[in-house]
Amino acid sequence: MSLVDLRDVVKRYGPLTVLDGVSLSVDKGEIIAIIGRSGSGKSTLLRCVNGLEPIQGGAVTFAGTVVNDPGTDLRKLRQQVGIVFQSFNLFPHLSVERNITLAPTVVKGMDRQAARELARAVLRKVGLEEKIDAYPDRLSGGQQQRVAIARSLAMSPQLMLFDEITSALDPELVGEVLKVLEEMARDGMTMMLVTHEMGFARKVASRVVFMHQGKVWEQGPAAETLAKPRTAELETFLSAVLH
Amino acid sequence: MIRELAFIDVLYLIAAMRWTLALTAIAFAGGTIVGLSVALLRVSPMAPLRWAAMVYVHAVQGTPLLAWLFVFFFGLSIVGITVSPWIAAAAAYSIYAGAFLGEIWRGCLQSIPRTQWEAGASLGLSFTEQLRHVIIPQAVRVAIPPTVGFLVQLIKNTSLAAVIGFVELTREGQLTTATTFRPFSVYLIVAALYFALCFPLTRWSRRLEGRLHVAR
Repeated sequence: MSLVDLRDVVKRYGPLTVLDGVSLSVDKGEIIAIIGRSGSGKSTLLRCVNGLEPIQGGAVTFAGTVVNDPGTDLRKLRQQVGIVFQSFNLFPHLSVERNITLAPTVVKGMDRQAARELARAVLRKVGLEEKIDAYPDRLSGGQQQRVAIARSLAMSPQLMLFDEITSALDPELVGEVLKVLEEMARDGMTMMLVTHEMGFARKVASRVVFMHQGKVWEQGPAAETLAKPRTAELETFLSAVLH
Repeated sequence: MIRELAFIDVLYLIAAMRWTLALTAIAFAGGTIVGLSVALLRVSPMAPLRWAAMVYVHAVQGTPLLAWLFVFFFGLSIVGITVSPWIAAAAAYSIYAGAFLGEIWRGCLQSIPRTQWEAGASLGLSFTEQLRHVIIPQAVRVAIPPTVGFLVQLIKNTSLAAVIGFVELTREGQLTTATTFRPFSVYLIVAALYFALCFPLTRWSRRLEGRLHVAR
């Protein structure tokens, strides 16, 4: 059974249909790169998976749980689905340690000492152990984004969602964040990422999903799909982003 | 009988400040309880609660404090309920301060970006946990200057309690003027005493702001 399953998902904002019957399944260990023009519904699709966006039609299932069922405990679900945002969204009033340990201590009831050890461990993974006592405003954008990744990892999620996480970064800081993602990929993490980094998608993703006009327009193995697009829309898109 | 303005009158005025302070303390305490509830209801995910709080705020902000004092003191006694001036003042000032503080604090809660709520929610925090650990600590920093600003207004508005019998600073000034017929000097002293209460508060608010680095 797939870990994530979207079936005929429809999402509207008033008269605007953002997702127009999207179906997509993701197996454990897969790395899905979601590409497409802005406004094609990529980010919305991602946000439906952890229930941040309510949907108007279809079904989203994660590990057998129907996400859009009103009876579903979204808190439980979100402990298993991490998300990292374009704008980092660290808590500015809390230290790096507390940013990471807040959810484990409050949601899972972990004690502060164990949580500090956990914070060290996840910070080591993103190469920022020495910043454990710093505040977010003392960190560069790339460092803040790596802390945000560490914060998600601390909940030991089964699935990680990445919403254009390098788009707000200065070009020279993109590499350090992508390197962390590559390591997570090597560790076998299931990931769905909305990205504009085509080189990265080709190298790391197992599958590329091209969104167009609120639909999954084309999908397939990363290298093949990016090298030989089958639809004219993907071809146009790729020639626009690659030049 | 008219007599000279003496040093003893100044002491009486200073003594009358205790009622000004007591009324302010009661009003602020009551207003905090009401205001916190109003602010939390105003950001609640349940629409009817938000509407109820909004109606309350509009109703109170659109009516004079004086009217509320009259309602609780004279109005209730007409229907046979006698209330002490303290109870009447506590009720009227809590209702009044609660609406204004509630609205100030709602604004502070809403000034924290939506994305902070989302970040909390996506880590599995409940609505109240998001409020407590993520939103309120950040909103408090924003809230200090307008809250102290309102507190200063409140100190001065306690003079309205004179209509239900409190001899606080302004009323004491009126009485002193009546016996000495020196309104200019008396009201200058009254104003100076209000200033002595309000100015340190404003200074303290600035210091607190700096310490919590609001501008971060």
